[in-house]
Amino acid sequence: MSLVAEAFVTQLAAAEPWPENAALYQQLKEEQILLSDNASSLAVQAFLQMCNLPVRVICRANAEYMSPSGKVPFIHVGNQVVSELGPIVQFVKAKGHSLSDGLDEVQKAEMKAYMELVNNMLLTAELYLQWCDDVTVEEITHPRYGSPYPWPLNRILSYQKQWEVRRKMKAIGWAGKTLEQVLEDVDQCCHALSQRLGTQPYFFNKHPTELDALVFGHLFTILTTQLITDELSEKVKNYSNLTAFCRRIEQQYFEGHDKDSSAIAARSSKRPLLR
Amino acid sequence: MRGTAGLCGAEPSRVSSVELSGAGRCREMRGCEHGAGHGRAEQCGAGQCGAEPSSAVRDSTRVLPQAPRADRRHRRAPLHPGAPRSVPPRGGDGRRRPSGSGSAEDGGAHGAVLLGGGLGAALGGPRLPGGAGHLPALRTRDEGIISKPQQIITHLRKQKYNADYDLSATQSADTLAFVSLLEEKLLPVLIHTFWVDAKNYVEHTRKWYAETIPFPLNFFLPNAMHKRHLERLQLIWGDDYMEDEEKLEKELYREARECLTLLSQRLGSQKFFFGDSPASLDALVFSRLAPLLKAKLPNGKLQQHLKSLQNLCNYCTSILSLYFPWDGGDPLTGVPRAAGTDGSEAEEDPHKRRKQLLSVLVGLVAMLGYAFLSGIVSIQRGSVGPAGRQPITLEEEEEEEEE
Repeated sequence: MSLVAEAFVTQLAAAEPWPENAALYQQLKEEQILLSDNASSLAVQAFLQMCNLPVRVICRANAEYMSPSGKVPFIHVGNQVVSELGPIVQFVKAKGHSLSDGLDEVQKAEMKAYMELVNNMLLTAELYLQWCDDVTVEEITHPRYGSPYPWPLNRILSYQKQWEVRRKMKAIGWAGKTLEQVLEDVDQCCHALSQRLGTQPYFFNKHPTELDALVFGHLFTILTTQLITDELSEKVKNYSNLTAFCRRIEQQYFEGHDKDSSAIAARSSKRPLLR
Repeated sequence: MRGTAGLCGAEPSRVSSVELSGAGRCREMRGCEHGAGHGRAEQCGAGQCGAEPSSAVRDSTRVLPQAPRADRRHRRAPLHPGAPRSVPPRGGDGRRRPSGSGSAEDGGAHGAVLLGGGLGAALGGPRLPGGAGHLPALRTRDEGIISKPQQIITHLRKQKYNADYDLSATQSADTLAFVSLLEEKLLPVLIHTFWVDAKNYVEHTRKWYAETIPFPLNFFLPNAMHKRHLERLQLIWGDDYMEDEEKLEKELYREARECLTLLSQRLGSQKFFFGDSPASLDALVFSRLAPLLKAKLPNGKLQQHLKSLQNLCNYCTSILSLYFPWDGGDPLTGVPRAAGTDGSEAEEDPHKRRKQLLSVLVGLVAMLGYAFLSGIVSIQRGSVGPAGRQPITLEEEEEEEEE
């Protein structure tokens, strides 16, 4: 988009207030969605909740293909479609809502850095686990990913996605890692987050920011998702302040919500959410 | 170990001799692939050799044992005499003194020697077994060759060299976060600037490497590296970024500039990121920024942005002068190489003159020899006669005719 077009869009975004019928699209919650996508989706939902912006969650089997960047979740607001947390945060900011305005420069730098840490380590670890760990792939990912589609399309799509993710893992150097090393990395990441959080209610003391939303999305999903083994969630459970943090945000932002908030569905799911 | 720091760029054929070099030979080897006149091995690992990006801190290793020791000796007593050393004990200093005296045979306390070689191995020739053709590579006495930066750091930590020992838990967490930030936002754009951006690649990077890689590898190694980086960026960024130059420029470079600004804000007016003594984060940030700062890129938008951030520039130059004093803190690409070539030219000059004379002589002799042999010219006494007689004969004939 040229500079002029972008300015125009931002203007447009700023001009309209947040509509009532904003929608967030993700994959089918019960049968299809995978760990990493669920985490991202939850993060966006948490962020919008924190900004007090109403949004409906709509589940579609082809959400991934509808998205402008190929990634879920994406939101449909007015006549604009924005995907992924980063651009959504900017879009929301253009509309005049921002969680990180009160931060000074150094804190903003730290916030961005920590968000990258979560993306770099947690998200990649989730992707690794669900696409590069053979057992998980066979038993969970393949059946879930292609479930809305008939045979042989489901197998073809799964293999295609797996191949793509594996190539990307190779490009960033994660292909050579073993599961133990990946879990080690997750542990390190959680340790860093735990240290940063300390005893504060949120990462930047009084008020939640997009970092809190992102961390919540990932950690909550990890904690409440049942995989082949519990190793991943065990790593997170080691840090009590992180689990308390998740619980606090869930209570504050998802409790009163009685529609199809995934948090509630997850809460009532000590039942296996993702098998 | 520091004495071996300049060995990157050792040609694969000279791997065996690399171990013996002290700092003296480091200076001769202009051949660091990054060649910013540094001979800095850590820059070899700065992502530009294709070392894995996921490994967090690179090449800080060689700098680490040096740094705390130098600082602390001058400033204050070691804080934790009994604890695992982040500073090697005074008694051990002698062993690990920078090997200007060529003591690098033992290569530091544990016989580790840092290599920059392996360019040939990059093509698949297993000259450095286990090295997998990656740089930097650390050859240790006990464990063979370690070539992943993260493993090198782990190895050093096992040997009780740790620059992060004094960091608080929050600071360690911050380190991890900033490392991720660099890897995600800055590194791909740096790779793009050096290797994929057409103007930069053709005019600067390719020449840089080709000049120091020996014949005949210099014809195809840079190209192979270029392709590898291009592929990697395609996988990371996806196809629509790679095809749409403008979009890529705008968004990704903007994020990279933002990342630099964030680093600058975090650094503030401090000397290092965590106060007065450097940590591994400093090494990593330095390794990313220094090539960008010092290389002479024709297309240098990111570079200009970096130059506008004064505290980062000062930071880089101060680290350069502190820990890489053999470059005199002035590692402009042109300067050391120019000095080198002048010197070598001066050396060669007498030979060159002699060779020229010799070649002229040989040419002359050959021509004369041919002339004589084929009879165009001959030096027999008699031959002057016939040649001379003919005109006389003609004259006689003319005279006769006239008469």
